[in-house]
Amino acid sequence: MRFPSVRAEITPRPRRGGALLASVLVVCVLALSAQAPARRQRGSVLRSWILTVASPAVRAVAGVSRAVSGASSSAAQMWSSRDENARLRARLAKTDEELFRLRAEVRQLRDERSLRAAAPFLPVVVGSAPVLLVERRAGLHSALVGIGSAAGVGAGSPLAVPEGLVGRIVTSGRTMSRAQLLLDASAAVGARIARTGELGIVRGDGRGALLLNHIPTTSRVRPGDLIESAGIDGIYPRAIPIGRVGSVSPGSNLFLDIRVVPTAPFARLTDVLVLAPFPARDPAEGSSAAR
Amino acid sequence: MRLGRIALILAGATALEFLFGSSPYRGAWPVDWLLVATAIVARSGGFGRSVLTGAAAGLLEDALTESLLGLNAFAKAAIGYLLAFFSVRVMFGGALAVGGAIALCSLANDAIVAVLRSLLLDSPIVLGTPYALWRAIATGATAAALEAAWSFPWREWRERRRLRRLR
Repeated sequence: MRFPSVRAEITPRPRRGGALLASVLVVCVLALSAQAPARRQRGSVLRSWILTVASPAVRAVAGVSRAVSGASSSAAQMWSSRDENARLRARLAKTDEELFRLRAEVRQLRDERSLRAAAPFLPVVVGSAPVLLVERRAGLHSALVGIGSAAGVGAGSPLAVPEGLVGRIVTSGRTMSRAQLLLDASAAVGARIARTGELGIVRGDGRGALLLNHIPTTSRVRPGDLIESAGIDGIYPRAIPIGRVGSVSPGSNLFLDIRVVPTAPFARLTDVLVLAPFPARDPAEGSSAAR
Repeated sequence: MRLGRIALILAGATALEFLFGSSPYRGAWPVDWLLVATAIVARSGGFGRSVLTGAAAGLLEDALTESLLGLNAFAKAAIGYLLAFFSVRVMFGGALAVGGAIALCSLANDAIVAVLRSLLLDSPIVLGTPYALWRAIATGATAAALEAAWSFPWREWRERRRLRRLR
């Protein structure tokens, strides 16, 4: 038997085993220590390291994956986007149309509100009406307004705006009426100088201005005086502004030549207030009142 | 000119009257579209149709705005006849000549209506107001522009443009 040789063969094994054990233990210690909770972090250091090391690769892979999926989905959406685009365009057009309509309605309501705000200062207001057409030809000044007998409006109903008197309805249809404007060469209204109380007659001159007649030369009227309806003609109610005196000059006889600048904006009439006929009468009589 | 086209022209003129008439800026460019419509029909040279178109346009205008039916119908029928006469018998052409003639016709329309109103309604004759002059200018200028557009050689112009592009 050769024992020494056996010993000699066995001796190195514990060394290698020790190194292995040591290295395993070190790895374990390292692994354990790595798995110990990291300071101010959730999870362990090892997991943190693993994540840190793996993140670029994972990100790269994820990026490629996203790029591929994005490209595939965009390719798929390209086909459906046309329909969607057309649908959205139609929807946008519809929205634009609605917006346009709503804006017009808001504007109309605002105008009507401003007209209505003046209503308490005017005699009985029947309603408001849009001015559809204004004709000025050879001394004729007439307007077509969008209100008629369906709204209880008849011939003889005075028209006004917040600034002053406009004219009166002479022919009324069911939903549309023809009005004679104060500027018409054959229009006349009983008037009163607000400051002095003198009475006269305002006539249209057919050229866009008004003339106040029958004011004696002894009158104290002066430019700027307010002229209002007197309520003496049986057509127009009293105390509605007509215009302001523009110029006063001595006439050829006992009366002054007085030019009146209308207060109502005749050049830009868009809506008018329709007043109840004055003095109040049955609607059936309205047609006979038209001159 | 065919009746359908005449009806279309009248309908268009009426629509334009209302379109501009209901605007607050109606006084900015007050074109007598019904007179322009009458002139367009008269341009073709048919006397009967020109007179009838003028009468119809005037009657429409009277129905909407005048106190007597027939004032503008009378004036526009006469103007339609005159315009047809000039377009047939007289060497008459060019945008400026047409514009000037229509402007004069607008003033003549006012004068005829004023005289008739004075005779029938005892209204004062109001002529030559700034508004009437402005409307005559606007109507004449619009008619001149339409005449220029009508007589412009669009086909040759398009052809020239196409050739220029090809070069």
